[in-house]
Amino acid sequence: MISRVRLAACLVLFACSTAAQAQKQQVIGAPPEASNMKLVGTNDLQARSAYQPTIHHQGDRWIAYIGHHGGTDDVPSPVNPMTGQAEPNGTSIVDVTDPAHPKYLRHLPGQEGKYESGGAQMVRVCDGKSLPMGDPNAVYMLRTFGSQAHEIWNVADPASPVLVTRLSGLKDTHKSWWECDTGIAYLVSGAPDWRTRRMTQVYDLSDPAHPQKIRDFGLPGQEPGSTGAVPTELHGPISTGPNGNRVYFGYGTNKGGILQIVDREKLLTGPKEPTPDNLRYPEISRLPMSAFNGAHTTFPMLDMPVAEFAEDKDGKTRDIVMIVDEAILNECTEARQMVWFADVTTEARPMMISSYTVPEASGQFCQRGGRFGSHSSNESMAPVYYKKMAFIAFFNAGVRALDIRDPYHPKEVGYFIPSITSATDKRCIPVEGGARCKVAIQTNNVETDDRGYIYIVDRANTGLHILELSGPARAVAGLPKN
Amino acid sequence: MRRRATIALAAIALGASGVGAYQLAPAPAEQAAHWREIAWPFPRDGWPKGRAFRCDGACTGAELYVRAKRGFCNCDRGVADDDEVDRVADIDLISPRLSAMALGEEVGIGDMRGRARRYDLDMPDGARHAAIGIAVSRRCELIVAAALGRGDVSAVQRAALAFPETQEMKTWATAALDGR
Repeated sequence: MISRVRLAACLVLFACSTAAQAQKQQVIGAPPEASNMKLVGTNDLQARSAYQPTIHHQGDRWIAYIGHHGGTDDVPSPVNPMTGQAEPNGTSIVDVTDPAHPKYLRHLPGQEGKYESGGAQMVRVCDGKSLPMGDPNAVYMLRTFGSQAHEIWNVADPASPVLVTRLSGLKDTHKSWWECDTGIAYLVSGAPDWRTRRMTQVYDLSDPAHPQKIRDFGLPGQEPGSTGAVPTELHGPISTGPNGNRVYFGYGTNKGGILQIVDREKLLTGPKEPTPDNLRYPEISRLPMSAFNGAHTTFPMLDMPVAEFAEDKDGKTRDIVMIVDEAILNECTEARQMVWFADVTTEARPMMISSYTVPEASGQFCQRGGRFGSHSSNESMAPVYYKKMAFIAFFNAGVRALDIRDPYHPKEVGYFIPSITSATDKRCIPVEGGARCKVAIQTNNVETDDRGYIYIVDRANTGLHILELSGPARAVAGLPKN
Repeated sequence: MRRRATIALAAIALGASGVGAYQLAPAPAEQAAHWREIAWPFPRDGWPKGRAFRCDGACTGAELYVRAKRGFCNCDRGVADDDEVDRVADIDLISPRLSAMALGEEVGIGDMRGRARRYDLDMPDGARHAAIGIAVSRRCELIVAAALGRGDVSAVQRAALAFPETQEMKTWATAALDGR
């Protein structure tokens, strides 16, 4: 009798745990999970693993340029249904003028290779008429070509890009920055003779057809011929241009992050030979982060009025840098990667003031599969959201909308976790004797356009989702009710 | 017998490096190395702590620090060059003032391939020591080892490469790389 009771109890426990497990994992056909954000339109991006989206207002059209990681073990080069050819992942070009009905225009193949060893992850776009020496009829797309090169294409006709320039001979690339009003570009490169996988090559791309190298830059200890420990590699810079005269460099991925604040003018005009002294010359300060966290995105929001300090004699406005770490391991097998806000008003002594993470228990995200943690933020500085809201790609927790008007107390006001589809790729962890895999959304990157649409792309091949705010979240940005 | 086994393991470990391996390890050890586990001596950093050992026998006084690092970015290329060894091999835990002595060489531990390199370290007390950095990869995971020599550097290197081949260390490394 007792053994029957035990058996029954075990069966009930097993059934409960199975049901709980099922609840944690996404299933095909289930609706998206959302709060104060709603889906406007989608595109499957030919089931290619997506990294950086850039949305460009081009004449009377809105075009999304989306960089891709390389292919997967199962599908190294997906077939482009527009050409019928297997093409290594590169750049998707999508007309999002009508966000409810995005129209895929062109896939521009990238470097052969899987995951981070191929593709064309990064993309930035500048109008020729804004560049000092650009062809005014051209629209220039700067992209990476896998780990080998940076390329500039004329995408005035986004369906028929034309190659303009190629800067090759590199051992790696990543998330570059391009000032459209000056043409100065901070290219994340792996110069062959540097000791680090990623550093900065500063170029004058004001005439994209004739790139002019200005200098190489990095942390002392990374330069050729140096000895000693090698500092953390670069992830990406963001410049405030000649007016702000600062470049914020983020180093690290999920460990040992550094925010480096650099005087742009000194960087561009200072001594260029990569000696330790010359590399230190333009640096204003550094904010070393915990060894547990890296700096994927360092997004400046300068001169922010902080309501709480409005009556104070000094310090009413603050210079803030939002730092986003990148989670890289599946199923929470690393320290939590999240979002940090640094007050850099006193530049020589930057200080962390607040942080944000998705509460794990709110969705049992460590059980869902794939990565859980932050990766990136929107990088548009268009007035619609700048200094009011930030959007954070949080892998299996989708995109998170933050009210950042008080950066000392950032607050989540919305989220959207897309549904998985048959294209969503599995994510595995090693277990004794093999691997265990789960399928989950992996919201990788996010960008916004001047109209207020939010574009999220999936690392696990689920494509592009175009979103808009709804409910009270719209009021945070000052958008009319919908 | 034990010495023969050590030499055999070292030969397997260095098998892929051919002439280079000979240059790194010019002479067999005169006596067996015995690694005795000690406390991990370094403060917490971004990676979970590893295991530390002190050598008796062929490499008396040498210390070996071994760690698993999950989340290595060069998943496809692996540890392809000496710069990678400089970056990941934990030599800088012993002293950040390090200089590579020579080009590194390809090495292997079990199925994992990578590179080893010799360094000169300036220690905080002004002393100079030889060290060996080793990094081998399994897709996106690394096993790294840093050995601090106090005697014959070649013997230390042979012993440092052979020790991870022991069954105990292989079992530990597999579990650590799997996140268990």
